Amino acid sequence: MSGRRTIYEIYWEILVYCKSPRSFTGIINRCDLNSKNGQEYLEFLIAKGYITTVREGEKTSYLSTPPAGEYIALFSSMYQKLFDNPPGFRL
Amino acid sequence: MTNTLSQFRTEIRHFFLVSLLNLVFAAIAIATGVQYVVTAILGQTLDPVMPGLPVIPGFRIFTGAIALVCFGLGIRWILSTVTIFEGIVTIKDDLMADGDAITDERLTCLIVRMLAHYRDNRRTIRTMILVCTLGGVLFFVLGIAHSLKFLSVTATGFAFSLDNLLLIPAMLLTLGISLASLLSSYYFSKFAQVWENRLHEIGESECALKQKLGLDEQ
Repeated sequence: MSGRRTIYEIYWEILVYCKSPRSFTGIINRCDLNSKNGQEYLEFLIAKGYITTVREGEKTSYLSTPPAGEYIALFSSMYQKLFDNPPGFRL
Repeated sequence: MTNTLSQFRTEIRHFFLVSLLNLVFAAIAIATGVQYVVTAILGQTLDPVMPGLPVIPGFRIFTGAIALVCFGLGIRWILSTVTIFEGIVTIKDDLMADGDAITDERLTCLIVRMLAHYRDNRRTIRTMILVCTLGGVLFFVLGIAHSLKFLSVTATGFAFSLDNLLLIPAMLLTLGISLASLLSSYYFSKFAQVWENRLHEIGESECALKQKLGLDEQ
């Protein structure tokens, strides 16, 4: 996904994408990030315990942890709530 | 189908239709603008003659100048619309492809994409509202000004001459473009208002996400 997003939207996207183990390149390509920013976001999520690293030989993958599910659920409910009510004009 | 999905789908479809209407009428606006400019330059139309009133000098040049401005606005209008249209088509296609079996995450993803698309094109949409309003007013003036040539105005009233009936469709088309652009402007401003409110709502509820991520402790 590209376009102007908030950091919370980027975190959500990374966490959803990492529900199955993903490589660093895969994450930055999917989330349209440069490697510097991608590294910073991943380091933050790892530090908070929302993502864990999985080593398979020489390859390192990133995987969302169970607490990430709470953030994903909260984010989804917040964004879907925006469409609970119709707009204030007739379509 | 959830209420959220149904609401999101309806809004996307309507926004798509307004954008499509804009594209079509922007193209017609360019064509009509060119037609009026060419007619004015080649001098194929005469300055209006109204019995009992003096001939208005330079009236043809005046309508030609308005037509030129309309042509320019038409180009600006179409360029702005294409940017908005492309983004909305992608989102609409993805939404339709997923159908009713769309997952919660996928729906949220499309909502986030729509918000990102709006943030990216916020300025363009504002410009478009302005261009559509201005274009609508100018085309209205052009339609009225052009129709004056085919009116015979007297002290007791006014009348159409027989030949001029053939030109009424052209005048109606111009007035139709004017109406369509004013309608587009209205809908775009309404959509922009709704999306602005949503961005504001997100901004307000971000503290819950911040708390969840432990960012408020930093």
